[in-house]
Amino acid sequence: MSSNTTRRGFKLAGALAGISMLSISVAAAQQITVWCWDPNFNGATMEEAFSRYQAQHPDATIDIQVFDKAAMEQKLQAQLASGSTDGLPDIVLVEDYRAQKYLLSFPGAFEPLTGKIDYSAFAPYKVEVSTVDGQTYSMPFDSGVTGLFYRSDALAEAGYSAADLENITWDQLIEIGKGVKEKTGKTLLPIDPNASDLFRIMMQSAGSWYFDASGNPTIADNPVFKSTLETYQRLLTADITKPVAGWTEYTGSFTSGDTLATPTGVWMTATIKANPDQSGMWAVAPIPRLGDIDASVNASNLGGSSWYVLSSAPEKETAIDFLASVWGQDVDFYQKILVNQGALGSLLAAREGEAYQASDEFFGGEPVWQNFSTWLAEIPPVNYGIFTEEADAAVVAQIPAITGGGNIDEIVAQIDAQVRQQTQ
Amino acid sequence: MAQSHLARNERINGWAFVMPALILIGIFMIYPIIWSLWMSFQVGRGMQFSFGGLTNIIRLTQDPIFMRALTNTLIFLAIQVPIMLVLALLFANALNNPNIWGRGFFRTAIFLPCVTSLVAYSVTFKAMFAADGIINQMLMGLHIIGSPIPWLADPFWAKVVVIAAITWRWTGYNMIFYLAAMQNIDRSIYEAARIDGVPAWARFWYLTVPMLKPVILFTAVISTIGTLQLFDEPNLLTQGGPSDSTLTLSMYIYNLSFKFMPSFGYAATVSYVIVILVAILSFLQFLAVRDRRA
Amino acid sequence: MSNPLALIGRGATYVALSLAAFVSVFPFFWMVIGSTNTNADLIRGKATPGDALWRNIEVFFTSADLPRVVFNSFFIAGVGTVLTLLVSSLAGYGFEVFRSRTRERVFAVMLLMLSVPFAALMIPLFILMANLKLMNSYQAIILPSVASIFIIFYFRQATKAFPHELRDAARIDGLKEWQIFLFVYMPVMRSTYAAATIIVFMTHWNNYLWPLIVLQTNDMKTLPLVVATLSQGYTPDFAVVMVGSIFATLPTLIIFFLLQRRFVEGMLGAVK
Repeated sequence: MSSNTTRRGFKLAGALAGISMLSISVAAAQQITVWCWDPNFNGATMEEAFSRYQAQHPDATIDIQVFDKAAMEQKLQAQLASGSTDGLPDIVLVEDYRAQKYLLSFPGAFEPLTGKIDYSAFAPYKVEVSTVDGQTYSMPFDSGVTGLFYRSDALAEAGYSAADLENITWDQLIEIGKGVKEKTGKTLLPIDPNASDLFRIMMQSAGSWYFDASGNPTIADNPVFKSTLETYQRLLTADITKPVAGWTEYTGSFTSGDTLATPTGVWMTATIKANPDQSGMWAVAPIPRLGDIDASVNASNLGGSSWYVLSSAPEKETAIDFLASVWGQDVDFYQKILVNQGALGSLLAAREGEAYQASDEFFGGEPVWQNFSTWLAEIPPVNYGIFTEEADAAVVAQIPAITGGGNIDEIVAQIDAQVRQQTQ
Repeated sequence: MAQSHLARNERINGWAFVMPALILIGIFMIYPIIWSLWMSFQVGRGMQFSFGGLTNIIRLTQDPIFMRALTNTLIFLAIQVPIMLVLALLFANALNNPNIWGRGFFRTAIFLPCVTSLVAYSVTFKAMFAADGIINQMLMGLHIIGSPIPWLADPFWAKVVVIAAITWRWTGYNMIFYLAAMQNIDRSIYEAARIDGVPAWARFWYLTVPMLKPVILFTAVISTIGTLQLFDEPNLLTQGGPSDSTLTLSMYIYNLSFKFMPSFGYAATVSYVIVILVAILSFLQFLAVRDRRA
Repeated sequence: MSNPLALIGRGATYVALSLAAFVSVFPFFWMVIGSTNTNADLIRGKATPGDALWRNIEVFFTSADLPRVVFNSFFIAGVGTVLTLLVSSLAGYGFEVFRSRTRERVFAVMLLMLSVPFAALMIPLFILMANLKLMNSYQAIILPSVASIFIIFYFRQATKAFPHELRDAARIDGLKEWQIFLFVYMPVMRSTYAAATIIVFMTHWNNYLWPLIVLQTNDMKTLPLVVATLSQGYTPDFAVVMVGSIFATLPTLIIFFLLQRRFVEGMLGAVK
């Protein structure tokens, strides 16, 4: 009797186990989970990439979860810090500036992809940002290659042609801004006094950053950093900029024609082209360089992000295979996302594709993508290190002093002191 | 005998009423709080940390940014909470008057800010306080100021905007508590006072305010905690700038945990600074409203 | 009856209230205007109604599995509000009516717990939920906020206005303590419950950070998570965000509107 119930018990347990096994195998039918932050940009490109993969691997499925960016980073960090891997995705999008911080804060959380992806096919600076101790962790995604977007119609009115903006220094841009103001009464640039974008662009154009390769602050006694602050000061005191607060006011300023230009990353293209009535009135020039620094080139970077695979991912192998076979080599895919999402990938071979060669009527019939990819290859690689946000905060805190005409040497010393205190 | 039976009854009921809440708090609060207390003594970054004793507390005293955030937070607290609570009390009093026409509309309107989405509210506030925004245009039109005030670009005015924004958002919220409490006051007392010729301000000051004391204390403590944990408004309007002039303790905690190289231990230490401040301030508030007869 | 001074006072009250109402409503009004414009117009600062409302609504309704999301939000806020009111008002009443030195200490400690910033508790709470196997569940969102120290404190303070005589009379009538709570206290304190319902519903409904961390699949998402996603990215469509925001605001507003009528009835009226 008792053995009978036991046996029945076993049977029942077996059946239950069978059910739960079944449900596990259903849930785990090669579903790749992805976290990203822009449904129309990185989310949409991921969907396109996966549809290509699925054509070859019909049983694979994908679950793309879109969050707002700050929220996603908070969710990811809270979960990594908790040590519980339940619910982490297979693939996560990480902003390049944050990559080193994540890789070093949470060792073992991300899967090294060296040997699984041919990194020589990608823009070198993108590979550099996700390399720790010789291991590279990312599938490089969109580039933040910079350009100077400007209203060609208004600048022509003030007597400036595209050639006048070709390969210039920031000081030449200041002169142009003054000329525009004089002739049209309009302000050239919107500047957010709480943002560090310009500093980042200027520094990287000279291959320099707040820190050296081994993570030591390079703020005091760094001619590039000093030149960056001085240039910013000249720019902000020349009466050619308008202060704006936050993203909406910033983008609203130049899309409404209130200001005439902005130096920023290529990903701004979609925002600018969202105003079809301005077609043909825009152009893109190379980013200005620092005039007094020889190493500074007319190419830099702002933002950009890459895909990372979590070590704990249940579908790790599928995820890596997917990234390597589509994102790692499909030139045609990169043409598609360039046309549809305006996403400029980092795969160098993609430059040879048709879409990259095409000219854009919105930008006066210029081959803007071709130009951006040329500049992309020229971006000086830098190691963002782990303390970029801390250094940014120190710089931003000094912006009122800089624009108020303060002594740059003293300001540099203040920033240096704060960065050292915060990163000790 | 009857006395002890009553006492026992009181004791059992006393625990019975609070037990469901205490069990839930025990499950969901005790462990996180002990964990965070333990973390506040850990040093290190990311997941690599070790026991650091008083290191974090020493770091606090040498951290100029923490000092700035602390000062800003206390300034917000000292100026904003009294203004907001007085306004809320005055509005509640006016809207409790049955002779005021359109009370339902006014109540709803003044409550509206705390449900308005943060996105809509930050965009409109920034537009209103822009250099060429409506506020400057109005003030210049009225010849109160000669040149536009750089509201969000100046450390002093940015604080003013943040204070205006918090007051705007939370006055109606606090008003609800006062309105509800006013319903619990016997109207016949007012009638008697009115017939005796006691003027409106005196009825408000000598009748309403003393009877609302417990709820005023509640809103004072809650608003103190809320302001010490202030995050949304400066984060959306000024990102803590210019020059860290609107950086709050909560923003600093957020930066330390999620923006900077994560130092969860030090962030926990800063969190407990808030707890200590609340402990001190609440104690003073309880003391201030304590019934003197007791 | 009405002397000139009182008239001036009345006039000043209306002016102050109208001003406050205008300032309060303005951003909401702007949100409504914004929802009728295209994103490009909205960013340029257009302040007049446009004709893009239907298009924006359409985009919003296709941005997520909205019926599911709205159900999640209502379920969490509804169940959460009822449980919170029950558990927390019981405790608030208990702490005030049955006093003991131990419970006063417990109460003081609770107030301190209330002041620990959530940022410090988020990670351990997450660990706890993972160990309790409650990840990605309604319980994980609702349960931690049911015993709301904030609402317990509120009920405790409001109970100070609850007349002792009522309780004593009920006891003499032979009512048990739980009957007194249910049949005397709750009806008498209707306006307190009304205010608490508004606040608690709003807190549950708008809850953002914790659901964000603990929810894992799209079918569990709540309205604030969906609206927040819309407002981010490189080219957010703010006009659609406005539609989403209005949509997310309405339930709280309706509840407020229905319950604010409770604020015109005196407490004693209910008892007599």
